[in-house]
Amino acid sequence: MSNPGPPSPPPVPPVSGPGSPQEVPPPPGSFPIDPESLPAPIRDELLAPDPVAIDTAAKELRDGLNHCPKCGATDIRHKPGSDLLVCLYCRNEWDGARVEEAFGLGEGHDQLRGTVVASGARDIAEDAASLMSFKCTGCGAEVTVNTENAMTARCHWCRHVFGINEQVANGAVPDAVLPFHIRKDDAVARIRQFVGKRRLFALKEFKEQFTPENVVGVYLPYMIVDANASADVAGKGEIKTREYQRGSGNNKTTYYDADVYRVERHVDFTVDDLPLESSSERGNLDTRANTNNIINTILPFDTRNAVKWNASYLAGYSSEKRNRDVAHLHPRLEDQLLSIARAQVEDSVRRYDRGVRWEQEQLDVHGSRWVSMYLPVWLYSYHQPGSNGGMLHYIAVNGRTGETMGSVPVQQWKLLLAALTTGTFIEGIVLTILANSS
Amino acid sequence: MSDDSGLWLLALGPAGATALYWALYRYYRNTDKSHAFERETRVVAQPVTGSDGKVGDIKGTRESRIAGENGRAYRQRVERVRRDSG
Repeated sequence: MSNPGPPSPPPVPPVSGPGSPQEVPPPPGSFPIDPESLPAPIRDELLAPDPVAIDTAAKELRDGLNHCPKCGATDIRHKPGSDLLVCLYCRNEWDGARVEEAFGLGEGHDQLRGTVVASGARDIAEDAASLMSFKCTGCGAEVTVNTENAMTARCHWCRHVFGINEQVANGAVPDAVLPFHIRKDDAVARIRQFVGKRRLFALKEFKEQFTPENVVGVYLPYMIVDANASADVAGKGEIKTREYQRGSGNNKTTYYDADVYRVERHVDFTVDDLPLESSSERGNLDTRANTNNIINTILPFDTRNAVKWNASYLAGYSSEKRNRDVAHLHPRLEDQLLSIARAQVEDSVRRYDRGVRWEQEQLDVHGSRWVSMYLPVWLYSYHQPGSNGGMLHYIAVNGRTGETMGSVPVQQWKLLLAALTTGTFIEGIVLTILANSS
Repeated sequence: MSDDSGLWLLALGPAGATALYWALYRYYRNTDKSHAFERETRVVAQPVTGSDGKVGDIKGTRESRIAGENGRAYRQRVERVRRDSG
């Protein structure tokens, strides 16, 4: 074989434009090359089944307290796989109130005016401390809860469990919580299946250290936004009127004639339960520096089933504190609303068969409603050493639907070798064809 | 189809290698994935209204698509017009 010559592709994808999370993502399970045309080992990985995401819509839920309503004990846990709380003392089980009905969040989207902010989504006070201490009513000891990563603590003297249930100004207490439905062993199986589909070119150290049992259940902070908006877009569209060829023999060139139209569209719409990351770190989707886009991808959650805040749901899980206010997230909301509007008007411009170029857009947000919520995520992480502190690769499982997404570090030389080999093979065929034809 | 004796075929090797590299890279690292809120959010929209007016025509272009097409690039922002009266 001669003339292998494919240039080495740059190792890092662009941050914006095609191939970045700022672009509309491809449909789930799609792959740009037909897998049938690839060698068997690669094809097998691509065609292996994905972890199944189940739909957990509409479960009937009701109210809960932090003391067991039957015996008054505080040793209360979330029962895995359900929205129930269970008292570890008397085994009484009960469930929480859906905020959708309790606060009327599921209705009146088209009546929304102004910015409505639920109490848990209010601005964070600058001086609010994240450490909170309680005097144990059982024995008088001081118990401290660090709200940066936990919402409950146990008095180590008398075993009373404390949860932060009153809303404090440090942003740690949300309006609602969506309890875990996917159990840990289920999450582990999904992560195993996900990585099993991506072993051939995975980093050797990653495969050696792969222990999905270390997955952690984390409640991450989100703002769930309902909005009522209108959008206007304007641009140009073209319709082909004629297609013809000039020249002769091998020098034919195709030409087109087209009519140009000025296109204006207006749409009024309401959006229900749009989730926005309310932690500045998680909201940063720069794929050069982090893999937060993985956690972004497993959205959305069945936020309609969220229950009123009760710290007992968080016992045994860690949590991350919110550090973003409504005002910070407003630009992001407007950006996403504009994107939704553009998607909505797409069907109305199908007659422009040469495509449409939007040049101006305008958005009026008539009203928005903000609710802060803790959403459940199973997170497996692997730290890949490298320059600038390396890269933290996440594999995330949606704690409600089981949707799984992850970033598996690649062994660059293997991937390059496979690409070069394929390139050489194709080039060989081409050279054979050219040699035979001349 | 070929312009000049099919020399363009030589580009197939490098193109195939690059395409496979990026396709597999994205399959493992999923850097192109994000929340597809355009299709995964519950949106209730009123019927789209608007106007279309012919402003000109093009004769003999070699481009098969409009320049700067962004009808499907929903997340690509264009000039934002703000209403004066708030």
